[in-house]
Amino acid sequence: MTKLERLLNLTAALINAVVPLTAEEIREQVGGYGGTEGASDTSFRRAFERDKDELREMGIPISVVFVPGTDPPLTGYRIDAREYAGAVPELTPDELATLHLAASLVRVKGLPTDAAFWKFGGAPTERSEGEPIVDLPTDAGVGPLFRAVADRRVAQFRYNEQDRVLEPQRLLFNRGHWYVSGFDRGRQDERIFRVDRIDGEITTGERGGFAPRPSSRTEPIVRAWELGDSDPVDAHILVDADQAIWASHHVGSEAITETRADGAVVLSLTVRNRDAFRSFVLSFLEHAEVLDPPELRADIVAWLGAMAS
Amino acid sequence: MSGRFSAAERLTRLLSVIPWVARHGGTSLDEISRKFAYPKSDLVGDLTDVVHFVGVPPYTPDTMIEVTIENERVWIRYADYFNRPMRLHPGEAFALLSAGRLMLDVMGDDNDSSGPLLSALTKLGTALGDPDALEIRLGDAPEETMSILRGASVTHHQVHIDYYSYGRDQRTERTIDPARFFSDDGQWYVAGYCHLAGADRVFRVDRIRKATLLDTVFDRPTEAPGLQLLDPAAGVPRVTLEVSPGARWVLDQYPHDTTTELPDGWARLTLPVAARPWIERLLVRLGPEVRVVDAPEDLGTAGRNAAAARILARYGR
Repeated sequence: MTKLERLLNLTAALINAVVPLTAEEIREQVGGYGGTEGASDTSFRRAFERDKDELREMGIPISVVFVPGTDPPLTGYRIDAREYAGAVPELTPDELATLHLAASLVRVKGLPTDAAFWKFGGAPTERSEGEPIVDLPTDAGVGPLFRAVADRRVAQFRYNEQDRVLEPQRLLFNRGHWYVSGFDRGRQDERIFRVDRIDGEITTGERGGFAPRPSSRTEPIVRAWELGDSDPVDAHILVDADQAIWASHHVGSEAITETRADGAVVLSLTVRNRDAFRSFVLSFLEHAEVLDPPELRADIVAWLGAMAS
Repeated sequence: MSGRFSAAERLTRLLSVIPWVARHGGTSLDEISRKFAYPKSDLVGDLTDVVHFVGVPPYTPDTMIEVTIENERVWIRYADYFNRPMRLHPGEAFALLSAGRLMLDVMGDDNDSSGPLLSALTKLGTALGDPDALEIRLGDAPEETMSILRGASVTHHQVHIDYYSYGRDQRTERTIDPARFFSDDGQWYVAGYCHLAGADRVFRVDRIRKATLLDTVFDRPTEAPGLQLLDPAAGVPRVTLEVSPGARWVLDQYPHDTTTELPDGWARLTLPVAARPWIERLLVRLGPEVRVVDAPEDLGTAGRNAAAARILARYGR
């Protein structure tokens, strides 16, 4: 019997099992494991462990539970049919074709989508034209965080040398970096974190670990000067005409509070991180100026004074 | 026997093929082979020699999958435990949503494809929960500009652009042959022959103030234009800097030749400098977080101090 046949039999038996199957039952009953006569204990164990790992790697949810009514309790295995199958949306041929085109133009690093299209009933038979135009990078934390967002699992991690307990609400990719935002339980407020700056492991809790709550932030653009814990200050900066278009793309056109006759613009920004704000303003060199508040103007003047003197 | 796929690769396909054929019945082998990227000989072999012998304990005939192949068509029956495909893996859902979201931005609203794509994403989103849980932003270029450039790169039409060069701190107008429209490291770019420079150039889309589609068509280049924004081999001046632990992002952000870790946690690196405003900006922003070790005079501390003085003049100092 081939390995493929054994894996199919194992998957079928675990989905079909009303009561979880013990390893011994799998060995005796499931086609391909050779019964008690065939393989030795160790070779059965080895094959079974390897098969389980392989199926789990494919995303098949094999759960390990105690078999009800056994004393001493025995460990059993099963696949919850609802968790295994879940809802795969029904897509029309047009929807399938455009989604397939999108997936062939945008590749997400390390996350192939071929198998996803098979689940939809196969890829469109006409090949999508065009070479990929985007290779989206991913960070190690993005996978667990996406699952946490999708399943509403509480995420815990260390950030800026502090432990954070987050109800993650959305993932955002902006200017080459992944961010996660949500309700920070420790701070009792919404916060946003850069995923690649999370220290070490991200642990996530049970599915449905928090209730959805309406987000107060409507504007998804992440600006470095908003990523901080200091009290927010409203600042205005004046940017010259030649740099104005780039500035408005960078911060969003709704930040523009005034456009002057020569094309220069005034931007209104909320500052929670003064270092990042200074760095942004100085990236315009002499083509921008902090108008107010006076303390942020003074900060720029002091910073530059140390160099120009 | 086994073809060129591993058992896991064939299993992944079969777990989708079985429910699909079971539901449709009488499906042609060629169609399955195409839709599931399954070489026909492997497919036929796996269906007749493997799937047909799969079942659940006690493996009596009524618990076995029945596969019938007749006249190049397949029927699968009694596969109740495989009656639905596997749920989307979070990674797959994530990749599909990401791709779809991004392409919606690129295509804009006027495209025939955006309707079906939007509804596909909505269905995907509802299967996963909140459809707004994921947002992808690459650069912040207006949809109109992206749509013109992407379209022109497919139809090979020239485009006239009003461009702000950040490195040179300069605005220019030029005509380009947009051979390639792509994204890298979180930004959109368009690459192709620039008639002003008389050479291939790469432009960041968010720095294009205005793009106008021209009627003229250009010849498809025989070679894809280079993607290097800055060619480090092009004999540009170099500066050697030491950056503090807080300024290590410089290492991630800019192409550099060498890095040396220093005992105090600082790092020394040598950077190619394409244009003076670029290095002035970097040094002014980093302030005390950077030490200039070696640089041509006007690109080092003296250049930085002069830039700082120019900015201070705006503040009346």
